Amino acid sequence: MGLIHWLLAAALTAHSAQCASTSMRSFENTNVQRTIELGGSLTHVTTTFAIKALGELGPNVYTLALSELDEEKTALMDVKLKGSKETLKLEKFGFNQKSNAYLYSVELPPMAEDATATIVVNSILSHASTPFPESIKQADPQLLKFSTEAYILSPYRTLSERTKIRAPSPKVTSFSAPAELSKYAGTTADSVATRSGAVITYGPFQDLPPTTGLPFQRENQKLLTVHYEYDSPIISVVSLDRSAEISHWGDNLNIQDSVHIRNDGPQLKGHFSRLELQQSRYFNKPSTQVLTHLTLQLPAGIHKPYYYDSIGNVTTSRYRQTPKPKSNTKRSSAASSFMEIRPRYPLLGGWNYTYTLGWDAPLGDSATFDKKTGKYVVGVPFMTPVPGAAVDQATFTFVLPEGAENVHVEPPFPVDAMSKYTHITYLDTIGRPAVVLRSSSLTDQHTGMVYVTYTVPVKAHLAKPLTVSTAMFGFFLLAMLFRRVDMRIGTAKTAKKH
Amino acid sequence: MAPETVKNTASFIKIVALSVIAGAAIASRLFAVINFESIIHEFDPWFNYRATRVLASKGFYEFWNWFDPTAWYPLGRVVGGTIFPGLMATSGVIFNFLRAIHLPVDIRNVCVMLAPAFSGLTAWSTYMFTREMKDESAGLLAAILIGIAPGYISRSVAGSYDNEAIAIFLLMFTFYLWIKALKQGSAFFGTMAAIFYFYMVAAWGGYVFITNMIPLHALVLVLMGRYSSRLYVGYSSWYAVGTLASMQVPFVGFQPVTTSEHMAALGVFGLLQLVAFTELVRSHVSSKQFQTLLRTAAVTIGLLGFVAVVVLTMKGWIAPWTGRFYSLWDTGYAKKHIPIIASVSEHQPTAWPAFFADLHILIFIFPVGVLLCFQKLRDEHVFVIIYAIMASYFAGVMVRLMLTLTPVVCVAAAIAISTLLDTYIDPQEPESTEVAPTTTSEATGSSTAAPKEPKTKSKESKAPKTGLFGLDTRLAVIFNTFFLMLIFVLHCTWTTSHAYSSPSVVLASRAADGSSAVIDDFREAYYWLRQNTPKDAVVMSWWDYGYQIAGMADRPTLVDNNTWNNTHIATVGKAFASSEENAYPLLKKHDVSYVLVLLGSLIQYSGDDLNKFLWMIRIASGVWPDEVKETDFFTPRGEFRVDEHATKTMSESLMYKMSYYRFQELFGPGQAQDRVRNQKLPTVGPTLDYFDEAFTSENWIVRIYEVKPDDELGRDHKTANAYSAGKKRKKGRVARRRFALE
Repeated sequence: MGLIHWLLAAALTAHSAQCASTSMRSFENTNVQRTIELGGSLTHVTTTFAIKALGELGPNVYTLALSELDEEKTALMDVKLKGSKETLKLEKFGFNQKSNAYLYSVELPPMAEDATATIVVNSILSHASTPFPESIKQADPQLLKFSTEAYILSPYRTLSERTKIRAPSPKVTSFSAPAELSKYAGTTADSVATRSGAVITYGPFQDLPPTTGLPFQRENQKLLTVHYEYDSPIISVVSLDRSAEISHWGDNLNIQDSVHIRNDGPQLKGHFSRLELQQSRYFNKPSTQVLTHLTLQLPAGIHKPYYYDSIGNVTTSRYRQTPKPKSNTKRSSAASSFMEIRPRYPLLGGWNYTYTLGWDAPLGDSATFDKKTGKYVVGVPFMTPVPGAAVDQATFTFVLPEGAENVHVEPPFPVDAMSKYTHITYLDTIGRPAVVLRSSSLTDQHTGMVYVTYTVPVKAHLAKPLTVSTAMFGFFLLAMLFRRVDMRIGTAKTAKKH
Repeated sequence: MAPETVKNTASFIKIVALSVIAGAAIASRLFAVINFESIIHEFDPWFNYRATRVLASKGFYEFWNWFDPTAWYPLGRVVGGTIFPGLMATSGVIFNFLRAIHLPVDIRNVCVMLAPAFSGLTAWSTYMFTREMKDESAGLLAAILIGIAPGYISRSVAGSYDNEAIAIFLLMFTFYLWIKALKQGSAFFGTMAAIFYFYMVAAWGGYVFITNMIPLHALVLVLMGRYSSRLYVGYSSWYAVGTLASMQVPFVGFQPVTTSEHMAALGVFGLLQLVAFTELVRSHVSSKQFQTLLRTAAVTIGLLGFVAVVVLTMKGWIAPWTGRFYSLWDTGYAKKHIPIIASVSEHQPTAWPAFFADLHILIFIFPVGVLLCFQKLRDEHVFVIIYAIMASYFAGVMVRLMLTLTPVVCVAAAIAISTLLDTYIDPQEPESTEVAPTTTSEATGSSTAAPKEPKTKSKESKAPKTGLFGLDTRLAVIFNTFFLMLIFVLHCTWTTSHAYSSPSVVLASRAADGSSAVIDDFREAYYWLRQNTPKDAVVMSWWDYGYQIAGMADRPTLVDNNTWNNTHIATVGKAFASSEENAYPLLKKHDVSYVLVLLGSLIQYSGDDLNKFLWMIRIASGVWPDEVKETDFFTPRGEFRVDEHATKTMSESLMYKMSYYRFQELFGPGQAQDRVRNQKLPTVGPTLDYFDEAFTSENWIVRIYEVKPDDELGRDHKTANAYSAGKKRKKGRVARRRFALE
């Protein structure tokens, strides 16, 4: 590994200098296709690199480059070979001065010279589209602006490149088509950008030199801007704190999410009129940017869901329960409960709302006991996604049973920080070990399981009933003593005289 | 069975019975939690809850020194010095104790469940008190009665987190300790009474009731010639320790020695010293004349003391009775002089049906119990009699004082019922056959009129040779009593669940399909304020909602339910009563960003601001009689109207405009209807120039308006709006504002 690292570092400098070193092989992009699906707070970008290996055999490492703009917004990135399900190993190298880009390396399976491969890079950008105009009236349509670089950054030569931007509806107000882009557009194309319905296509651009590096970017790189209408509320989750608590005695897994959501659409200009909202509903023309409810998909077989905020129970929610599927084999299927939560008030642009949602689930649904090792394994999803929402800050707290030992936590993706503390709750004597995972800039795809393994000694299991019975015994003992001991000063006779 | 076993069994049964009674008392108070949720009710409890949270999170010293800049903006409020901290301290102690034993109960749940928990203790203390009056069976009966009597439940359902929640327990327990101190002449119990008296002082303004009841009892005993060293020891230890302790509460401070309400206690204390001195001298001197002389001297000194108090009051050394106190003697007083007190519905005189609703049959049995007290007339019975008389009077004057009447009604009724049952369950038949026929006829004759019964019966039970014959009379009376008790229980449950278990923050209603739904507009609007306005945005509303805004929306308010500053409240009233142009500068001066009004017109919620508007006008005109005139709001025929016949002042007032802004548009043209006042609204609704609608809740109950910032061009908003609406201004009509060129 160390060798590879060293090689990579060497290779990167080599790339940026744009001369293929002998120890590292170079590539050529025969065709690059980028598809951007515009949305609300999340934007999906799929980039397909058809590559050809050049030079001699060597460590097969392909370098991806992200501009500063993209790096900042990319919340999720995974790389696959076309047709395969397995993700390739992606390593982050941070900002490279010479390339003027953030570099990532992908380890590819061995390739012969001139062999080709297709790499698919899926990424999700959060908060890439911004409302423009920034404030609108209640009944106005909601317009968003999205900007990205015209040329995809790559340290390799590119033969052909095309960018497709797909708006959610054909209501595209405007899009930019900088004339300078025709430099690489070739002779066949009439213009650098064509639009058909909701799709805007830029390119194809041909025979691009490596696009990383300041000189090229200064000279040729342009920003593409699409201004489009988006007709559902733009929700983003400012913070999401999940806590999962295990009780072996109660055979229960309690999950509780404290969520702060915000409507990231354009700010409301002027005032909110309930009349207009009610009228628009009556005339069946609902205001598009108003968030009235959220439907969350909760696991099947849960019970006692609750939904409240800091001033009490929120009375406006609906819960549709799906019983747990009987056979364990079908667990992955669509069987799940739905919670339709309504914020206390409709959320207009720029409005905030916080709530707490929780439920109980049978422990058996997510925990197993390995008899050989004596270990419990519990899997809990990192979060329940709010559909289409970017998550800015998330914490995941896992409270283990009292006295748990050998705790091992396996997060589904690299997290920013992991810490431990002791959580004390009902009838604990020494408190429960708890693990906190922190992460930021997540999307609704970050729903992988956090796996926790631990052991609980028998005496820890028995601690609780012993404590309670000791306390009760002590109480009765005191009551007995109190009744039997005469604490009056003087004898009973003198006391009675009074 | 051995007597020891019997004693132990009885004691065990007693404990079980008391626990069951406490359980019943707690359970019957949980309707609100089950029907709605664990939520703080009404208005005042929201402040107590907020204060408790401060106490729980920041500790006692922070709480003690808490200055709240968000209340009574811009004046602020020294909370630590202007509240009775007993309630919050109690919850804080419970909360911290539970946390210490690793039961991290939410502070809100502690607050919500405090009143039911203390009602269990009240049942126990009433048992102790009644046991001193009669016996244990009467005590148990009294415990049941107080446990479920609606008069007490009305103030102690789960979520009703108010001072009364713990005060009734303290009241009964202090009285019990006083009786105990008096009976035994024990300084220990006197001091205990003083400690609980201190707790009571720290918990509720109604402590004055104890402050006057105990001296009155002592005075009556002295006048009855029942002075004893027991009385002297009990009273002196209670008064000395209790008064000193009560002065430790900052809100009370030096009141115990400077205000009229406390003078009686001091006077009786002095009198007792004199009487004690007299008794001392009498025990040494045998001359009868000397005795008389001393008595006259005592009376003279007493009178002199009284005159001194009067003179001191005149001079202003002792504060005279407060307005609230006067209104106890003259029910019309508040209406004339302090409208802010009269505007509170719970300060109104009690209507007759309220007695029945709150006490049911107990109100009929109560006099019997009091009468039975005359039978033995021990010192403690005198106390019950005085208590009964005083509390009856006060309960008649003010609805909320029904609360102080309820315990004595329960005690007296328990004595009466218990005596009745004792007589009729007693299996012993009289031996003498001669007397028999007359008694039976008397018994059967009177069994139909149950309340009359106990008096005659218990008189007979004194004579060993008289009594009851046969089973039929016994069964008839016992069955009748049980039947009445059963009806009482049903009534209590019904009243509790229907009348006293609504949180008033959340309203129950029915959805179109018949399923139960809740109207949650208040919390909707308050939460909107909390989440979407700047933290320092000042909200103006009528004082009723001040505590709720502070508690739920967490925003500064101009006035709140503390009502200590009449002028400030009048300012708010004036702003609501005046026109937009006049109100705007007033609001600007007070940094108001949002104005909150309540409108029940859409869903018939009758407690809205327009219905309270007359009180606002009255209070405002009390301070500014020239600017706000009540008559301007009435039609020439003297009606309070909101339709097209409304007076100009009315329809231009801020309250009217804010209530009905764009309300008419909900209905078809000419169809707009106010469902609370049952009036048809004018076709054209009011317009607003200086305010913007910021939020309206789902059922239009709460409407929040934003105060517009000053116009950018320095025009007034009316001109600016007219200009942007495209209206040309008429030449020379509108005075142009001049700008200085420098």
